[in-house]
Parts: sequence; C-alpha cells; structure tokens
Amino acid sequence: MKHTSDSPSMDRRHFVKVSALAGGGLLIGTHVLFGELAAAESLAPAPADFAPNAFVSISSSGAVSIIAPNSEMGQGVKTSLPMIVAEELDVAWEQVTVTQGDLNPAYGRQTSVGSQSTPANFLPLRRAGATARALLLQAAAQTWGVPVSDCTTETGSVIHRASNRRATYGELAATAASLTLPVNVPLKDPKDFRLLGTRVPGVDNPKIVTGVPLFGIDVQLPGMLYATYTKCPVFGGKVVSANLDVVKARPGVRDAFVLDGVEGLPSGVAIVADSTWNAFSATDKLQVQWNEGAAVTQNSVEMAKHAEQLASATPAPALPSGAKAVQAVYHYPFLAHATLEPQNCTAVFKNGVMEMWAPSQIPAVGQGLVSRGLGIAPKDIVVHITRLGGGFGRRGSNEFSIEVGAIAKRLEGTPVKLMWTREHDFAHDNYRSNGWHYFTAGLDGAGKIVALHDAFVKMQSGPGDMSANGFPFNAIPGSQVSSSKLPGGIPTGFWRAPGDNGNVWATQCFVDELAHAAGRDPLSFTLDLLGRTSYQPGFDAQRMTSVLKLATDRAGWGRQCPRGEGQGFAITRTMGAYVAVVADVVVSQAGELAIKKITAAVDAGTIINLSAAEAQVQGAILDGISAAWFQKITIERGAAAQTNFDEYPMLRMNDSPRLMEVHFVKSNLPPTGLGEPALPAAAPAVCNAVFAATGKRIRTLPIISESLKWS
Amino acid sequence: MSKYTLNVNGQVRTVDVASDTPMLWVLRDALGLVGTKYGCGIGECGACTIHLDGTPTRACQTQVSSVGRKSVTTIEGLDPAGKHPLQKAWCELDVPQCGYCQAGQLMTAAALLKSNPHPNDAEIDRAMGGNLCRCASYYRIRSGIKRAAELASGHTPVEGGSR
Repeated sequence: MKHTSDSPSMDRRHFVKVSALAGGGLLIGTHVLFGELAAAESLAPAPADFAPNAFVSISSSGAVSIIAPNSEMGQGVKTSLPMIVAEELDVAWEQVTVTQGDLNPAYGRQTSVGSQSTPANFLPLRRAGATARALLLQAAAQTWGVPVSDCTTETGSVIHRASNRRATYGELAATAASLTLPVNVPLKDPKDFRLLGTRVPGVDNPKIVTGVPLFGIDVQLPGMLYATYTKCPVFGGKVVSANLDVVKARPGVRDAFVLDGVEGLPSGVAIVADSTWNAFSATDKLQVQWNEGAAVTQNSVEMAKHAEQLASATPAPALPSGAKAVQAVYHYPFLAHATLEPQNCTAVFKNGVMEMWAPSQIPAVGQGLVSRGLGIAPKDIVVHITRLGGGFGRRGSNEFSIEVGAIAKRLEGTPVKLMWTREHDFAHDNYRSNGWHYFTAGLDGAGKIVALHDAFVKMQSGPGDMSANGFPFNAIPGSQVSSSKLPGGIPTGFWRAPGDNGNVWATQCFVDELAHAAGRDPLSFTLDLLGRTSYQPGFDAQRMTSVLKLATDRAGWGRQCPRGEGQGFAITRTMGAYVAVVADVVVSQAGELAIKKITAAVDAGTIINLSAAEAQVQGAILDGISAAWFQKITIERGAAAQTNFDEYPMLRMNDSPRLMEVHFVKSNLPPTGLGEPALPAAAPAVCNAVFAATGKRIRTLPIISESLKWS
Repeated sequence: MSKYTLNVNGQVRTVDVASDTPMLWVLRDALGLVGTKYGCGIGECGACTIHLDGTPTRACQTQVSSVGRKSVTTIEGLDPAGKHPLQKAWCELDVPQCGYCQAGQLMTAAALLKSNPHPNDAEIDRAMGGNLCRCASYYRIRSGIKRAAELASGHTPVEGGSR
C-alpha cells in the first residue's frame, strides 16, 4: 500500500529548505521534514532553493518523495497531482511517497476552487518531473563519460544501452544535486503516458479505512483546549452582552469572552474548555443579547415577491410576428454546503508566530485574514493544510482561521481547536444564492426557436450571474438576458459549479419544455440547436454534440416507456469540460420518484487518474440530484431556518441509482478539472425524465416540494 | 466528572469525564481515537458509528455512563492492519472521496456482513440507509460491500477495475 508521510496527529511539523539531503540525495526545491526542532528554527529564513520547483526529492536510497501542493477534499488531487510529476520523472508509482505540502509560495497556486487544481498545475508539475529526470540523465552521462543523448530512463533508473550500464535514481542523486539546472526540458509526448489515464487509488485510502488522523478535526496537540465561537443567528448581528459568568462556571470551561472589533472577524462569543463536549455543553447555556441589525427584515417569502417585481420591470421584447409564445418561471432556493466535517481549525500562538492547521481550500485566504485582523506578518503565520472532510466551495472563505486565530492569540502559548457545531455550520454558511428565471421564448411555425428572453434574479452578492453567452442563448440570434439583484445581507458564496448548479437546471429544463411545445424529440431538437450555435470562445459545439450523442447512444435514448417511466437528458459546458447526462426514472402513481439509471458522457481533455475522474463524475451527479431532490435553506427573520440534517435531507444509499455509467471521450487536449463539471446537468436530466414519465414539469426546487402523483 | 472503565478495541481504558459525555467525544478527546467522526450530533448522519457488543451504534447518541461492560469497537479496532475484507475492498475499488464518512460506513457495513455475508442490493440499501456520504460515493460503497463479500469467501482480487 502507498505511504504518505504526513499526519496531523504529529506533535509538531517542521519545514526545512535544504539544497541536498543529508544522505547525499537530490532535492528539487523544498523538502518537508518532520522532527522535534524548536519552533523558532523551523521558521528561520530558508536558504535559497537550488531548483526552480519544489516538488521532487530523491534520497540516495532511491526513495522518491513528491509534494501534493493542493488541498485534498475528495477530488483526488493529493494523488493525481503527484501522478503528473511521477509520469514525467519516469518512476514506478510504488516508489513514490506523497507528502501534503503546507502553504508555501514555492508550491505555486495552492487554490483548490473552480476545478482549477489540475489544469493550473498540469504543465508546472510536468516540468518539475521532467527537470528532475533531465538532471538524473545528465548525472549518469557525466559519470559514465557518454553523451546524454545516448542515455534514457526506465522506471527509476538511467540506462546506457550501448555499454549495458544502468544506475538507479538513488545512485545518481548526489551527482545530480551538484548540476546546473537545465532549461527548456522537453516533455513527454502524451501518447507515451504510462501512468496518466490509469486507475490509481487515493494515497490516503489505507489511513482512511483504519481511522488514522488526517482531517482538520483530527488534529491533536499537547495541552490543547477546545473552543466554540457563537455568532448572531441573524446575519451581521453583534453582541451586546452575554452571560459569561454562567458559562465560565460550567464544567471544564477555562475561559469565555466576547470578541468584537477585529477586522474580518464577525462579532461573537468564544468559549474555551478542556474537551469538545464541555465546550458544546457550555455553549448550550450561553445566552446573548444581540443587536440583530438590518438583515432581520429579510425572509424567503418576501424575496420571492421582490423577485417577481424585479423580473416584471425587465419584460421580454415583443416576439417576431407569428411566433408562438412559451413562458415559464423557474426557481431554485438557497443551499447550504453541509460538508460532513463541520468547519474547524486549530492554532497556537507562540513567540510571535501563529501556527495553524487548516482544512482550507484556499489557505492563503486564511493567512491573509489572520494577518490583517491580528497584525501578524504573513511570514509569521505558518499554515499546515490538513485533509478536508468535503469542500464543495465552503472552505474557501476561511472564517474559521480568523476565529481560531483571535482565540489562540488571546490564549498565547496554548493550542486551541475551534469546532463549529453542526448547527453553527448550517447557520453561518456562505449559501448558494437563490435564483429566478422568467423565460419567454418564441417558436415559429416549424417549431424553431426564434426568440429567447430570460429575466433573471438572484441575490446581490456571490457568484452565479447569468449572461447570454452560454447555451442555448448562443444558438439563438438576438436572445437576451436581463439580470436583476435582490438586496444583500444574506451571505452567499461559491457552491460546487457556481451559477451553473442552478442556471443549467433552469435553462436545460426550459429547452426540454420548448422541444415538447414544438412537438419535437428533445434530442433532435437540441442537436439542431447545437448545429446552429455560432462560435463562442470557450464553447465548442462539436465537443458538446459528441458527448450528447455518446451519452444518449449508450443510454438507449428513444426507447418506448410505459406511463410512469421516462428518460431525460441535459448538457452543460462547465469549468471547461463538456458533459451530457441521461436519467432513467420511474415515478409511481403515488408520486414516488426512483432513479433507475444514470448514463454520463464527459469530455474533460486528458484524464489524469481514471479512478478519481470517474468517482468525481459519479459523485457530482449524485450531489446535483441530492440538492435538487431534497434541499432548501429558507431565510426567516434574517437567519437560516434549517439547523441540521433532519431538516436538510441528503441523498441516501436507498435513493441512489444502482446503475451508473460514465463514459469519457478519449482526448489529448489539456485536462480540465472534474470536481464540478458533472454536477449541473444531473438535476435537469432527472426533471426532464420526470416530465417524460408523468407530464409534470418541475419548475421549483427542491423536487420534494412538488407532488408527482399521476393517474 | 466521573471515572469510567471501558473496554475499547480489546483494551481496558479508564476515562474521567462528565457522565453525559457522548462516547463520540470520549473516544475522540479523552482516548485520542479520532477515527470516529462528528457529523451532526443528533444521530442523523452515521459518521460516528461504532460497535457496542457487535451492534452498530451512534456514538454521538450513547452516553459514556450507559456503556458499562459492553465491548466497544471503533474503526481503529476493525483491523488495525487494514486486512478486513471491507478495508481491502475499499482500497481496491478506491471507494473514499473525501473519506470523512467512511469510518461510519465501514462499521455499519462490517455489522451487515457479519449477519448477512452475501447481501443483495436491497439489503445493502436497507442496512446502509442511515449513513450519509456528502460526496455521494454510494455507487462504490455498494460495490465495495459486494467485493468484500467476495473477498471474505476466498475470491482473489480483480485487477484495477472499479466499475
């Protein structure tokens, strides 16, 4: 089984940059060591790197260590990014030890959002591996006195065929470390990839299945205390007063205090105790008088009325004469991220240095918050990246970093683990914005779309705006999107496949609706639209068409279904990848929905790790279905009404389809990411299948809010 | 605070905690066994599933004072060497995504296979319905349970496939 060399349970981690390993090994850039050095030593300025990249080290014993620079939250980058290095380095995967990199500028872009980890790191990591290989080749050539062009590599060794000589990378490491770095190292021809595109299990699997500490919540430090931080349930509210004396008298409580006026830190009450349970129990007894602020007037019912007013203020232009009008309103609600690991972070402030263990998608954001809020220079804020118990966009904003930082600074010298309760996690999310689409389309006598207008409304803040650049607007000359915004006040943010996660549902359902209104088969209707699509930068109608044909072909599109059974499909181009999803559903007369089969086709360019890629497509599709079927956050009096999984259901095994097929288009194009692209088309495929089965058009999510009974 | 003597993963362990402390936090904070995870605190998600005398149980809903002499098994005690058929199947089929729920999934699945060595789809769905996976790795969890059943009855590993 593959080894990984990191564990948050270690008492202390240290980060030492050296130019060669003690045993005479080769180091390309920064090596990460664990030991018992004093904190001050570990933070001493590093000697200049001798190499342009920080990802590979090879010891004289032949051990190969590769850094995983980005945060692992289930999307597979702790395995797939080091695979890219190993491919170009030409080592057996079994030789490699993967180490999670900490926040370090030498590792480049350590930002795990927007499905960008793979596309952004693909070339830099290939170059890192290829550069190390070139040095090893040169070391062998120099040792043997032969031209480097006569040498080649073979899984961890350099060979010179003419003289039948062979040296392992370990044997060559010391010599290689003394050489000048080459420039413009050639990269492999993709047709020669041997590791990329294969199925490689996640490097942490052996630890996950035996319960070894990995996640932020698992961090344990000697003398560590446990904290909660309670904020006003009404967004933006502030503490007026709190019963701190009562809380401090609770069992195990070491301290309780109000934090206010720290830049970037919402006003709240910190409770610090000797165990998580004692901190939670004391938090239950906390009573706070809040100044609730302006958001208290906000609620979901009023937002819907306001959205209708905004939409009616941007009416569709008059349709071409003779066109038949089709109008529909689609609405999707706020969503919580509900990562199964609630937000948490651990920190200790000692000798002017803040050392943090953060389950963060963008650890640099947390470092910045702590730096600005607490006046600590970024160089004095050490951030270790733990494994994340789910991300989905939640762990980019890093509030937990400034919260625990402020508490740890006050408790100087004592490690503190901040733990959000599940209820805190639901109450203080950066929710997926709600949205409304007021569509008006015109169909001519031949059933062709001749006009399309979308009066779109969402919250002022957060991502997810609409434009007329995407499909199907780019297929219909003169189509328009008018976008209006509801006032801010409710925190909204990035939720897996921002924008597309709701807008593709609405547009793909409406296109299906138009196909039926035109009396056309939805597949030929969409293929015709794709055929009419004018070229748009970033939208390749041919790739879109290919995945749609592949998915519908494999799903047996067009089969005759009895009443109560139906097929539906949807397509999306999300984060650069092209995805088509076909759903086969059954709806009982009583209205119970069952998803029998999902068939997906994906063009994501070069596939790095086939196992992780397939898992991401399966998981993203089911996540999209879970959210659309069951989930809704309601705002009442400026606060989230749902507090836990009993009020915010999630897809379970028994509702999960037993048949799932994922087909990848073979491609040598650069890789896209795959954490998000497969999500947006899942829900509209299911809703379109429900329509085919029952004649019921779902225009408001979640699906469970509508009766699917038929007779 | 009260002292409790517990039988955890075959070892006798003594803890000094408040009597209403759920086993979840006894395991994680007092005993350092952090493989058992906190997800909801209300018994809805299954991330904290442990075995009490072999029965899958929500550690967040089990006060330490109620455990007595029952034998407690956590993910750390399932098989520390990772040789349980489910652990082998999970690695072979690359089941985990983020991995946070998987300790609970494995403990529930281990109890299922003990009582029913060859469960069909419906039996798997029924047994596993209480364990949420936020990454929705359900397809592979189902495959993993079937693969573990095969491994337990002597089948050799298949090469690399997870489909």
